[in-house]
Amino acid sequence: MNNASAPKPAPEATPAVPADTVVRRSTDGRSNGAAWFAFRRPIPQWVGILLGALCLAIVFGIWWFLTRGPHEERIIGYSALPSPAETFNRDQFQNLWFDNALTRNLLVSLQRVVFGFALATLIAVPLGVLCGCFPWVNAFFAPINVFGRNIPIAALIPLSFALFGIGEMQKVMFIFIAVVAFIMMDTAAAIADVSSRYIDTAFTLGASRRQIILKVLVPLAMPRLFNSLRLLFGLAFGYIMLAELVTEGGGVGGLGNIINVAQRRGHRETIILVLIVIPAVALAIDRLLFMIQRSLFPHQYGGDGFLHILWRGIMHTCEDVKRWIIAPTPLQPGQQAALAHKPAAHEPHAAPPT
Amino acid sequence: MTTPSSTTATPPTSQDVGIGRLLEEVQQAVSPPTRPHVVEFRNVSKTYNPGQANSFTAIRDVNFVVADLPNKGEFVCVLGPSGCGKSTILRLIAGLEPQHPATTGTVHVFGKPVEGPGADRGMVFQDYTSFDHRSVLGNIAFGLECQGVARNERNELARHWIEQVGLDVAKDSEKYPHELSGGMRQRVAIARTLILQPRIILMDEPFGALDPQTRMNMQDLLIRLWRAVEATVFFVTHSIEEAVFLGDRVYIMSTGPGRVEKELEVEPADRPALEMARVPRFQETVYYIRDLIAQLEAQANKHAK
Repeated sequence: MNNASAPKPAPEATPAVPADTVVRRSTDGRSNGAAWFAFRRPIPQWVGILLGALCLAIVFGIWWFLTRGPHEERIIGYSALPSPAETFNRDQFQNLWFDNALTRNLLVSLQRVVFGFALATLIAVPLGVLCGCFPWVNAFFAPINVFGRNIPIAALIPLSFALFGIGEMQKVMFIFIAVVAFIMMDTAAAIADVSSRYIDTAFTLGASRRQIILKVLVPLAMPRLFNSLRLLFGLAFGYIMLAELVTEGGGVGGLGNIINVAQRRGHRETIILVLIVIPAVALAIDRLLFMIQRSLFPHQYGGDGFLHILWRGIMHTCEDVKRWIIAPTPLQPGQQAALAHKPAAHEPHAAPPT
Repeated sequence: MTTPSSTTATPPTSQDVGIGRLLEEVQQAVSPPTRPHVVEFRNVSKTYNPGQANSFTAIRDVNFVVADLPNKGEFVCVLGPSGCGKSTILRLIAGLEPQHPATTGTVHVFGKPVEGPGADRGMVFQDYTSFDHRSVLGNIAFGLECQGVARNERNELARHWIEQVGLDVAKDSEKYPHELSGGMRQRVAIARTLILQPRIILMDEPFGALDPQTRMNMQDLLIRLWRAVEATVFFVTHSIEEAVFLGDRVYIMSTGPGRVEKELEVEPADRPALEMARVPRFQETVYYIRDLIAQLEAQANKHAK
């Protein structure tokens, strides 16, 4: 993402050099060869893309080399790893798309992640906010968070069958358990990271504790919090594969199930294709969430902040409804006087006294 | 304002220095006061982590009183080296933790003990504390929003204050803090405080991070606004020029632990900061205070040895 916004070196910045001068070193004293190893030197976008393509080419080259020739003469046998040509062909794509119902299974997996993650967010974010505000709440939840963050999540799968059965509930709750402690701790950290000078300021402006939480701490922590949630969603998307791979009884659906079935039938090509689909989908989701993040917090990322404006509009509407129920506080006399004495430009008699 | 000290029998004498006048003793409360004092510190000490190995006394036995003048707020500057407890005094008036509550002694504001922070004691900090997610308008209207003032009214008043602090309503009101310079941010902070009509304005080195030219402009702006709002200002600084220019009254503090050592009354500034700095009588006061502080530090060092 950063490559696009990185400043491109201006060609006119190069000092004019007389034709007969041999320039061995650039003006900043680094030789041309050292340019590759200059710390943190930005590279042009096309070089970045080229290097990525080179890496892919090498991986595929090795893959091709190891699986070339007839089945019996290969370095790695067909039963272990099919060749690139055997994997990326029309039959295999058709098999994945239609026979294995890729789209439907993808949606099934996504739905599980979204439900489990949404449930975890609804519970963990408010609790995390309280943890970040009040150390005693944090201390109270510390044991649960220590457990939740340190338990290898795969170890919870057998117990989750016992608790939640073998249906959808188990998948959703597995995602919930996998991320709830992380969301809570990240929320608490984001809130605690807001400098206390903002709390002091809000107090001296007459804000109540509730207003400080809702109008100061949460909004100021929101960019960091949203960023954490985006990264954790990626993690949860990884965990759902685990829940779908380890099953009791078949036919649970989801991308993990496609892998399971293909494994049983000996379709290595399908497995490889799914393995390429998974990171592609994860990347697409991550970029989508990042676009939302950018649009929500223009003060952090620039841009027009469409969602930020939309959110402000929603908040204004909520406030209007509230004012309809609870009458607004009138201005103090002095404040009204300040407005009344303001010379209005459209009033001709408001000429300044001479 | 030479209220005689209640503790000494002989009336204090004072000494004229330039545009200032050094009082023999720091003004103390007379009892009973004719009207409640704006701020009164009585034997106030603040010790952090008392009884522990890392216990630290920020201020010890601070006594002073700022009398309430009819229809006029005083501009009180608190001057002293870093770490002398200037901010502690300010935050005790504001009622902000962890300085509040004082370990011993009492802090009274308008005759009542300070129990916690409130909008009647507005505060401007040295660090920029604009709320990053709010526009200039949203920042200035924040206090009114918390009070539950209707949106059109609070925005109208906020626009009035954007003008008052020298910003442009059309250009600046929808800007976000990261788009503002340090000086503009402090203008927003001042407007955000003054819109609530506080009776006391606490300023903790608000111009400390600004360049000299901006700083002088802000000083002029502050004097102009303060004359219009009739509030008492407590202004903490370590710039002697700033204190003498802005202050009607200057408290000089010493370190280790902090105490209010001297009090000066200063004539109000009658010209902009840039011109005031060239007036010999102004400079005389500045040099006098500089020597006084050096003298106090020498004494403190002698005590330390």
